[in-house]
This record gives sequence, C-alpha cells and structure tokens, in this order.
Amino acid sequence: MKFGFGKIKDALKGVAEKEEREKEDEEEKREREISEAREVKEKMSESEQGPGTIEELNMEAKEPVKLNEPGSGPEPLAPADRTKAEKTGLIFFPAFDWAISPTHPEREERLLYTRDQIFEEGLMDLPQIAEYTPRLAGYKDIARVHFCVPDIKAQATTPHLIAAGSCLVLADALMVGEVKNAFALVRPPGHHAMTVAHGNRGFCNINNEAILVEYLRRKYGIRRIAIVDTDVHHGDGTQEIFYNDPDVLFISFHQDGRTLYPGSGFMNELGGPKALARTINIPLPPGTPDEGILYVLDSLVLPILRDFKPELVLNSAGQDNHYTDPLANMRFSAQGYARLNEKLAPDMAVLEGGYAIQSALPYVNTGIILAMAGLDYSCVREPDYTPGMFVQASRDRKVLDEIVATQLENWKNRDFLVEETVKGLGDFYHRKKQIFYDTDMIQEFQDETIKMCPDCQGYVTIDSHAHRSINDTRVFGVSVPIYACKNCQAEAREEYKKRIRDPVYEHVYLQDKKADEYRAYDMRTKKETVY
Amino acid sequence: MLIGIDVGGTTTDAVLIGNGEVYSTAKVATEPQNLLISLLTALDAVSGEIPPERIKRVVFSTTVITNLIAEGKTDHVALLLIPGPGLNPASYNFPDSFFLKGAMDYRGREIQALDEAEVRENVSRIRDLGFLRAAVVSKFGQRNPDHEFRVAEILEEMHPECKVELGHRVSGKLNFPRRVASTMFASATKEKYRAFVAEIKKALAERDIKAPVYILKADGGTLPLEKSTEFPVETIFSGPAASTIGALALTPEGQTSVVVDIGGTTTDLALILSGKPLMASRGAKLDAFLTQVRAFAVRSIAVGGDSAVRVAEAGEGKRTITVGPDRAGPAYCMGGPEPTPTDALRVLGLIEIGDPGRAKEAVASIASRIAKTESKDEGKDEGKDAGKDEDRLGADIEAEYDYDTRAETETACRIVDIATEMIASAVREMFLEWEQEPAYRIWEVLQKKKERPENVVGVGGGARGLIAGVAEKLNARPLIPEHAEVGNAIGAAVARPTLTLNLRIDTEQKVYSVAEEGEILSLNTTDISNFNKMRSEDAEALAAKLLRERAERFGISEYAGEAEITHSEVFNVVKGWLTAGRLFDVNMQIPAGLIPEWKRREKA
Ligand SMILES: [Zn+2]
Ligand SMILES: [Zn+2]
Ligand SMILES: [Zn+2]
Repeated sequence: MKFGFGKIKDALKGVAEKEEREKEDEEEKREREISEAREVKEKMSESEQGPGTIEELNMEAKEPVKLNEPGSGPEPLAPADRTKAEKTGLIFFPAFDWAISPTHPEREERLLYTRDQIFEEGLMDLPQIAEYTPRLAGYKDIARVHFCVPDIKAQATTPHLIAAGSCLVLADALMVGEVKNAFALVRPPGHHAMTVAHGNRGFCNINNEAILVEYLRRKYGIRRIAIVDTDVHHGDGTQEIFYNDPDVLFISFHQDGRTLYPGSGFMNELGGPKALARTINIPLPPGTPDEGILYVLDSLVLPILRDFKPELVLNSAGQDNHYTDPLANMRFSAQGYARLNEKLAPDMAVLEGGYAIQSALPYVNTGIILAMAGLDYSCVREPDYTPGMFVQASRDRKVLDEIVATQLENWKNRDFLVEETVKGLGDFYHRKKQIFYDTDMIQEFQDETIKMCPDCQGYVTIDSHAHRSINDTRVFGVSVPIYACKNCQAEAREEYKKRIRDPVYEHVYLQDKKADEYRAYDMRTKKETVY
Repeated sequence: MLIGIDVGGTTTDAVLIGNGEVYSTAKVATEPQNLLISLLTALDAVSGEIPPERIKRVVFSTTVITNLIAEGKTDHVALLLIPGPGLNPASYNFPDSFFLKGAMDYRGREIQALDEAEVRENVSRIRDLGFLRAAVVSKFGQRNPDHEFRVAEILEEMHPECKVELGHRVSGKLNFPRRVASTMFASATKEKYRAFVAEIKKALAERDIKAPVYILKADGGTLPLEKSTEFPVETIFSGPAASTIGALALTPEGQTSVVVDIGGTTTDLALILSGKPLMASRGAKLDAFLTQVRAFAVRSIAVGGDSAVRVAEAGEGKRTITVGPDRAGPAYCMGGPEPTPTDALRVLGLIEIGDPGRAKEAVASIASRIAKTESKDEGKDEGKDAGKDEDRLGADIEAEYDYDTRAETETACRIVDIATEMIASAVREMFLEWEQEPAYRIWEVLQKKKERPENVVGVGGGARGLIAGVAEKLNARPLIPEHAEVGNAIGAAVARPTLTLNLRIDTEQKVYSVAEEGEILSLNTTDISNFNKMRSEDAEALAAKLLRERAERFGISEYAGEAEITHSEVFNVVKGWLTAGRLFDVNMQIPAGLIPEWKRREKA
C-alpha cells in the first residue's frame, strides 16, 4: 500500500497516459459529433435572433476584444487581531424555499429539524454565538474560481449565491476580528463543484470553500490555507480546484472511493507536479467509527497541519459520516463530530452533505456549534446512541495504520517529490481528465496544461468538452494564479486572445486572479463579459 | 369617554378622551411603594368631574410586574426541568432547578421516558423545602406536553397545595431556556398580580365605574383585566408600548417614525415601520433572563435631560465634553448641582423652563474648562467626582464670567450636538439591526429592508429641545404632537387588543396544535377530509377559524377581522424518496393598532 517516490511518479504519469490511450478514439468521434451539433445549433440560434445580429456579426471582422495592461488588483486589507474575539460567528441559512426536486435529499426539509433543535436549545441567544445575516455573493466572487458554462447566472442561481455569500459574510467577520471562528450552516453544498462548471455534480454547482479561499486571498492577502474535508464523500471538486496550488493544503477524509460516490480520493492523488503532497487523501474503510476517524485526525491530520502552519484552517464539514446516513456506510456520531471540531479547531466550517435529516443533523449540528463555541457538548447525543456501540474492527485498524504511515511519508518527502517530478517535465505538464456530472448526466473530457514556470506555480489552461444527451459544448479557460509571475500572466493573457479567435470553442474564459480581472467571451454572440 | 393611565417609573400619566379628542390630562408623581395609590390618584384627577356611567373603557399600563421582579419580591418557584439531549443543563443560570430524565424530540416523539421514581423523589424534596409554586418545562414540550402533564399529576398527588405552571401553556415557540424563564416569571408573579388586580377592581367598584377595564401588554395590545391574571408577565414593559402606541395615534397613518421618549437620565427608543411598531424578534429581556414575552423592540440609552455634562481628558492635553451616563440631580437651571443638556437647551432658547442665569453659568463653566486645555492639574480629576465638581463650579463661574457669549453658545451647541448624536446613532443602530435580522429563506434575503425614519416623534415630558437636533441628524421631520407629554396615556387609552395564534399541523402523525393553547389535537376533529392532499390554503383556513374562536374566548371578536397571516410554511416529510406527510406552520396575529373610535376621529 505504501507509495514510495517511484510509485507516485508512475501514478502521476501512468494514470494520465492510460486515460489518454483509452479516450483517443472516442475523442475523435466526439469531435465530429460536436461540430455537426454546433452547426445545427448555430443555425437555430441565428434564426431565433432578431435584427441585432447583423451588428454583432460585423464585429467579427474587427478586433473583438481589447485587453489592457493588467492591473495588480486592489491592495489587500490586513486581517485584524483575533486573539480577543470571543464569539463564534454563525449563519444558519437552511434555504427553506429551495430544493433540487421535491423528494431529492437536497430539499427544503433538510435543515428543518436542525432548525427546531438549535432554536429550541436557544443557541442563537448564547453570548458565545453571534448570528449573522446572509448576503448574495457577487458574480466576480464566483468568477475567481469557476468557468461557468454558459455563464455564471446559469450555474450560480440565487440560493447558490446566498450559500457562497454567507461564507463571505463570515470571512469578513473573522478577518475584522469580530469572531474567533465561524460556521456557515448553509445549503446548497459545494465541494463536488470543479473549476469548470457545466452543471450539477453530487448536488453541487459552485464550490463554497473555493470561493471563500479566493476571497480571503484577494481581500485579506491570506496565503497559506488548509482545507480539511470531513464529508463522507471525497471532496473531488475542491481537490481539483487547488490541485496545482502549493499554498492550499487539501486533506480529505472519506469513505473509500471503491465503495462510494464519486469514486475518487485515492492516496495516489497527491496534487499537481509543483504541489505534490499538498493534496492528502484518506480513504477510510466503510464502517469506520469515531475511534478510527479521531485516530487518523490525531496521528496524521493534526501533525501535517502543525507542519504546514496554515494561516487559516477550513473545515468542509459534511455530516454524512454519521451512522444513520442513508447515502453512506460510516459510523460516526454527534459526539465524534463535536470532538473532531474541537480537536481540529477550524477557523471556519462550511456545511457540506449530510442527509440523515432527522436522526443525525439536529444533533450533529448542535454538537459542532457547541464545540466551536467552546461550550460543553457532552449532553448532545442521538436518541439511539449509546457510547461504545461501535467498535473499530482490528482489520480496519491496520488499514488506517497503513494510510497514516504512507501519507506521513509522502508529506515528509513533499519537497523532494516536487523536485524530482518537475525535473523530468518539459515546459508544460499535460493531464487528461474525465468528469461525470451525476445530477445533470453530463460527461466531460478535459485537457489541462500547467506551465512549469521556474518563478511561480504556473498558469493553467483547460480545454473542456461536455457531452450531453442532446448537445455538446466545448469551452476553453485560462487561469492565472494570484501569486503568478508577470511572464505567466502575460503569456496566459496572450493565450486567451488567441483562443477567442478559434471558432471551435463556444466560450473562452480568462481568470486573471493576479489582476483580479475575469473575462468570458461568447463565440456565438461575439460578446465579452468582464467581471 | 375613554380613560388611559400609564403608571411610569417617575410619573403616572392619565388622559380622558371624548369624541376622539383629549378632554383632560393629569400627571402625578409615582409612588414606587404603592402603585395602586398613584394609579387611583391619576384616575381621580381625570375622571373626577364626569359621571362614572359616561366612562366606556379604562386601560392601564403598569410597571407593577417590572417592579416586583426588579425588587426581587416575586415568589419562589421550583423549576422542574426536563432538558433531554443538547446543551448541558448545568450551564443554565436558573435558580431552584430540579432536572428530570425524559426527552421528546423536535416532532414530539418520546425518545426517553420519564423516571417516575426520580420525579417523586424531586417532588418530595420540593415539598420539604417549602416551595408552594412549581414550573414544569420540558424541551419540545410544545410538540408533546405528556411529560409536563405527568409531572403535574404527580405534583398534584404528592404536594396538592403547590401551584403548578406548565411551560407549553406559557409559550409554544421554540426556545427552551426562554420558555423556562417565561414560565418561571409567570408562576412567580401570578399571585401578587392577582392581588393587584383585585385591588383595582375594588377601587373601581367604589368609584362606581362599570366600564370594561383592560391592561396594556408589552406588545401594545390590550387584554381584559380579568383575563390578564392568566398572563401577568405579558404586562411587563407596557410603558414603552404605551408611548409607541401613543406616537402611532398622534402621527399620520402608515409612516415610518422613530419614537423618542427623553426622560431625566434615559431615552427610550422604538420604531414604527410603515405604520407598524417593530417587535423584538425573539421576546423581551426581563431582569437577567431572556423571555418569550412578545414586546416591542425598544432600546434604552443612558442620556436624558438631566444627564451630567462634564469635561474629560481625551489624551494629548485635549479635553472633551461628556454627557451622562449618570445624573447628579436636576438640571443646574432647575436648582441642581451640575450642568446638564437641559441647561444647554435653555441657553440656546430651545426650551423655556428653568432659570436662564443659572443655565448660562452652567454652560460657561463647561466652556471655560474646555478652553483651558493647557492647565493640566485642573483637568486631572474632573468629571469623576460629582460632589467636588459642585464646589468648583461656583469658583469657575466667577473667574470665567467674562467669557463671551459666543463661547457659551458654541459650547451649548456642542453639548446638544453630543446628546443628539448619542440618540441618533442609537436609532441608526436599531435600523441596522433590523436590516440585519437573520433570513432563513431566499425571498427573505432578496427582500431589501431599507427604511429610514420620516419622523422623529418626541413623546413624554423630557427635554423636547433635543428632538429637532435628532431629526436633523437623521434627515427626518421633527414631530412633537399636541399632548405629546401624555402620549403614553393616550396610547393606553386608544390601543386595541392583540392576539396571536401559531398553528402547527403534522399530517404524518395526524395531529395539530395551537402553541398558545397547548393542546395536541387529532386532525380527525377538523373538517379536513384528506390529510395527504392538504394544501397551505387548508392550513391557513383552519388557522383563521381557530383564531376567530380564540378571539371569541377573549371577548374581542370584533377585532378578528383585523387578523393577518404573518408566516405560513409547509414542508414535505420525505421517507425513502416518498412523501410521508406534511408539516404546516401558520402564524397569525391581530397586530397592535388603534381602536376605531380614535381612528374615526382622526379622519373626521
Ligand atoms: Zn471528504
Ligand atoms: Zn457528502
Ligand atoms: Zn510563472
């Protein structure tokens, strides 16, 4: 099970190569289908459009887009001293008027009993809790993270903007020193949403934690952030967004991907070449109880965090590890969740999944709130819970031991791994990915390149093909990291200019986080939107 | 004719209204030790000349409950609490608590049975300790009161002389700690309040007044005196409620106003948003405890006409003027020991009361000390010791008498500016807080709450001269209505009844309950035939019907038509991808408002 250096390299290269071989034929076929489909679609939309079309078509001949010299964005604000803050900031946004569909797990009722419990407990009255009111995130906040297809409005509907906006309200409260920590008890969730957003994946459209991270970096100049994903599902969206970012440490606990959606999160997924071991996956055997998760926390997660010294720790706080969750098979309890948050002491927690809405959520959320507020949670327990009802199987304990040993070793060797890996690569690192959107039934193929820049983490380009039952979409996105070098920034912007002339794409995106400038070009209307 | 009486902390105000017009008013000093005497003196003062049969309605607002609680004169109550899982009950700061095993969940399902032996043990302890009152409150007792009922039965059996109050009867809203406090106060004040009501009735009988008598609640609604003995805590804070309703009665309909009641040392603020007084979102705070008592959102700040005005060191050799928070006595111009905002107002000619010479002296003393920023030893203990200041004031005045009037006017302006800014910023904070109230639904987030006061309404007898300054700062119109000094009594006289009804329906369990009544009833007793097909409209119709019945029981049927739905929501209870039932919550209220007799007059 142990992954020494050689194996990782194999894993990195091997997976990509294998995927490439498998998909080559398919790709060709798809490409034909797409171009045919596009022709049909273009004809249709042309006839739909009114007189305005002519003017816009004329624009094609001219230089469609002018890119000015990139600015460097506004100066970040200095975070305030939080050592004297005593309260836990809380936003409870249950979105009582929103559902994916009436009987979907992500429905109005999801946080109803949680509301009843936390209101009946009187938690909002406690002097240790400060309740905040949500706001909508701006499109620019979304554009900092996502390439939304066809546009932001289509992917980030009002409830999504409120869930993300709630995280930003709490981020501000935290950064100005009003609160010592904060919990965004909001829905809809976000941790399965990736950079390119074609639709809903695993109940998620936009990634709340990623939007929060980019906001904290841009507004407050935070650099090193650790995200610990404690949802039972692999936080594949968050992992993908920060895969090449050595400043963001992503650690995910989850039920082994061989037995649960989304089927990823294995130990060999360690991060891009320049960010190796900044992604740490912990695939847990089904049935792991409090004891096992807390063991991994103590012996692996906390030591790595101490070592990484992040400025902020975020908990991507799913509650579907619970022993009653209908979508997974773990055996975590409310006491376990409270203990985990007490030990992890995240600066901020953001609710993710958790679908045992009656038997788990009211108790788990009460436990987490009390633990974060530093209050006594010993009396929080589920009606059918008795301490010691779940015992760690000794065979599973061995699995955990192996995970801890392997990942500690990877972590210890991270700089060496990066050095050795980058040495063998050219100017660009290529990766092919295949992404499935379970809710919206979209199959996406991606071609990703990362500039192997000696001066920074390098800019990223994504060429994405989305196949739906009736139509296909191809888009291209360029992303400039916030701490990118000037050369990468200039090169990336050139790449954007070049691609907007290529009719093979329906949409082309520029995400210049360094300049805090975001552009989306619509090939059909020849219109550019700037955020 | 209508009579309104407000027994306030310092004065008791009364008003007699006939044909929608103020007939006569009275103001008498409140005797804190005997509120009844104050009340009756004021009553006699306004009603003395008219025959008792012409009186059609009498409404009191009283601080009797507030005083009982503040002075610790309430009765001891044993709290029998059934907290179930959640917050550690050891963290509660309630007195005389006895914790019992047993638990209900959020849908009223029993998750842990009562331990009857434990209940009996505790009841015998309570008996041995001599408690004669007990409050029984269980978490989620409003969703299923069985445990509260059973404990009450055991109390009745083992300790029959003990008077028992049940949590679910006091409030049906979610919030166990607030319900415990509310139930505790309900139990602790009931007997004494009842005695007070009996005395009022006796006194009215002696005066041959047979008109219906009401008591004003903290939510600005009236409650028949007889009925009020069941809900004594609802009468707390009825003073600010009276002023607010008074302001409502004296300002144009439907406008947004801030009601400013400037007293000697404090200023009370309340908001009227588009003609509706703003309620405290979760209930009033009473003593050290948060309760579920419906009350207007009022804020009291420590600045008033008699607040001590002093000069304080602001560092780097600079000095500033401070206003309050304490009061050294009456205004200097009224013979008091220290300068006050009232003196500044007098100097500026904004009020006519008090001796202008003394007012000038008071302001001059502040002007001279603020000017002499160089002499450091003088400033050291300034503004700290009221007694010392008094001596110094005389000396300073002599030395600085030549100070030109411009300096005095400027200083007076600054004092007024500071005081009005304190009030205005508190108003801004109140609006901000209201805007920042949490939102749990998309539409609530999208609904942009942005209202600013059109009027700053001055009520009460306090420093009226400050109203214009506050209004200017808030970019609003200053309004001091006729009879504003007895606005509180007018508010009491013209307030109409309020009533709430919170209906919850659980079609899966086939039950419904009205939070205010505390009974869980079978849906089979309603005329709803197919529970599974029940829609919001059906739930709302049932709520309206129950509200009408409730209004009838309260003797206020004529106001049932004013009832409005404040909130209505429905949730599908889904089990394994199928809808197993529905949960409905419908909240209705007859909101605070004015009786038609007054409205009619206003329109005429
Ligand atoms: Zn996870
Ligand atoms: Zn999940
Ligand atoms: Zn670079």
